[in-house]
Amino acid sequence: MSTALFSEDQRDALQELTNIGMGQAGASVAAVLGEFVMLSVPRILVLKPNLIPPALARIVGSEKVTAVRQGFHGDLRGEAVVVYGVSHCRELADLMGYDDVIDEATEQELLLDVSNVLVGACLGGLAEQLNAEMGFSAPSLMATEAEVSSLLDVERMDSPCALFVEVNFSLEKRSFSCHLVMLLPEDQILVLRDAIDRFLASL
Amino acid sequence: MASTVLVVDDSAMARKMLIRSLPAAWDVEVRQATNGLEALAAYRQGDVDVMFLDLTMPEMDGFQVLEALKAEGLNCLVVVVSADIQPEAQERVKRLGAIAFVKKPVDAEKLGVVLREYGVAL
Repeated sequence: MSTALFSEDQRDALQELTNIGMGQAGASVAAVLGEFVMLSVPRILVLKPNLIPPALARIVGSEKVTAVRQGFHGDLRGEAVVVYGVSHCRELADLMGYDDVIDEATEQELLLDVSNVLVGACLGGLAEQLNAEMGFSAPSLMATEAEVSSLLDVERMDSPCALFVEVNFSLEKRSFSCHLVMLLPEDQILVLRDAIDRFLASL
Repeated sequence: MASTVLVVDDSAMARKMLIRSLPAAWDVEVRQATNGLEALAAYRQGDVDVMFLDLTMPEMDGFQVLEALKAEGLNCLVVVVSADIQPEAQERVKRLGAIAFVKKPVDAEKLGVVLREYGVAL
């Protein structure tokens, strides 16, 4: 399935608006971690749910992952998932100044905090430009040291397609990286598309 | 005489927004490039007075473009226009020779102030 739900102009606009949200998220997380964050061009795909796990696997590779989910609601409704390779979770503790092995609860708290900063800045930045009101639920751990393929219960997704927006953050001097994926069901893709059209018409 | 400006961004919308933010009284001929490689090719053809350069792009990013321009003896004014608002990114592009950093979404007034500071626009 292609991105046929979006015209080329709409897709380009969504990518650029996401890019601006990503820039804000990158700056926020750079301030938290005290490191320079390298950004890449966001990727926009419209996928059948069963193609989401392979798309995730392409980003993170074969390493097991820990993931945090955070729902958003308001003018746009969906879910953001922040995916970390397992080795990167330990790197994060080190970056935050913990010298030694930290207990699981502390590590999880760190992941939730960093995810919250990323999602809030990235999606908040996107919503702001689209004049959309967006609220966030508390982030929660969705899987620890899991296979990427088992991360999402795609059988339970009752949408014929989903918008998959991929944003990657990596540090220049450290091996840490993480990936933010925004998932929207089909009815919300149409809402987003209308918001993009209004934005484009206002230019 | 008109100035030649080169607008470099992978997003067509971002290029359009930047071009619309240029001071109306500024007599310019606008050229466009969609990634760093295209930007360098256009620059090497000559005549570019001011380059508006995005940082996050496929093929070759804005940092790499600045490095290449520096190595070739920078012969135009570069204004970086980016969503990458890390203070470190702004310091880096200035070290690489950019005269200014303008954050996205572009504020036409701020862009005008930057351009007037360098005497390149009315």
